[in-house]
Amino acid sequence: MSALVVVTGGAAGIGRAIAARLAAAQRVVLVDRSPATAEAVAAVGGGAVAVEADLTTEEGVGAVVAAVGSVGGPLVGLVNNAGITRDARLAKMTPADFEAVLAVNLGAAYRLTSALVPLMADGGAVVSISSRAYLGNFGQYNYATSKGGLVGLTRALALRLAPRIRVNAVAPGLIETAMTAAMPPEVLAGLVQRIPLGRPGRPEEVADLVAFLLSA
Amino acid sequence: MLRPPGRPGARAAALWQSDGRRSEWSREKGSGVSGTIERRVPSGLGALASVLAGVGGPDGALVFAADPDIGDDWQDVLAQFREAFEATRQALAAGAPVVYVVDQRDLLGQRGPGAAMAATGLLSGARAAAFEMRKAGIPVNVIATEEATPPAAVAAWVARLLEPGPGGPTGELVRLGGEHLGKALP
Repeated sequence: MSALVVVTGGAAGIGRAIAARLAAAQRVVLVDRSPATAEAVAAVGGGAVAVEADLTTEEGVGAVVAAVGSVGGPLVGLVNNAGITRDARLAKMTPADFEAVLAVNLGAAYRLTSALVPLMADGGAVVSISSRAYLGNFGQYNYATSKGGLVGLTRALALRLAPRIRVNAVAPGLIETAMTAAMPPEVLAGLVQRIPLGRPGRPEEVADLVAFLLSA
Repeated sequence: MLRPPGRPGARAAALWQSDGRRSEWSREKGSGVSGTIERRVPSGLGALASVLAGVGGPDGALVFAADPDIGDDWQDVLAQFREAFEATRQALAAGAPVVYVVDQRDLLGQRGPGAAMAATGLLSGARAAAFEMRKAGIPVNVIATEEATPPAAVAAWVARLLEPGPGGPTGELVRLGGEHLGKALP
């Protein structure tokens, strides 16, 4: 039976690239709350399984646990990639937008990791997608808090779960996704200008790194 | 084994009670302007709360200390973030500086996921807030303490960071003591 990997936020962008990269060798349970999840699974191929779920709820986490059980095979990996942004200056950031970002980007990762680690095979691995925004970013108090929290979660779990499970995080900088495509060209150009390579990262590059960190 | 996140913690609602006291503060030099600072210190840090009572700063300034006993309940972690968010917004809207106080062990993930998420999240939030307030010249900084750090030392650094002066640090993490040396740091 093929080994299983769960990828959250897999319907688009970095998550979809990770799922596609992993699906070449493993069965992927692709989780997203977007209705585009099933379509993404078809694009990913490799017998991936779609779970449309909101991971900020117990029901959503339960749906993923149930899917892992029904698909079968040893669970060897979890990629906490699901994330949202609700950017605003602190003065204009609403409590709802603050909590929504924390709930999805950090709370959901914590809940799902807590639920899946007991099911994970020895030698398994967890990779969480943080962001370089954890170093601070304008208008992203909520996002930075959530991504910094992911770094702390990673450190604590790495200590607590070793040597049975490895836990790591990746903090991408600017990556070519639908989000960057929607940026005003002059803003994007300004950001790219600061990157020594002269271009944003590609989702496939993040996926390669995640695949390495998941590998035994 | 990892403990699953629990239900909304009963302690979450009661934990972050401000002590209700505001310390009056007077400048020793200058125009004699007086101000008040907001201290959010959990009950588990009673000694720190006592020494911070003697610390002043610009009117509306905030000192926010992370809870050392927060545990691994997500709802408690979220409650702390919520409290920090609201208090920080209030301070910065008043044009006043902010200092968070966290435990170095939590930045390193040594005391469990709840405390680690809280400490590193606060650090990153402070860095983001500092970004926003940079042009206005309002500093936002973080102090990391050790188990053996004397509360008086924390208070001294809080006072210093509340009034760093022109060109002073912002978005910085001040690590007190040397336990962090040689470690991979967030």
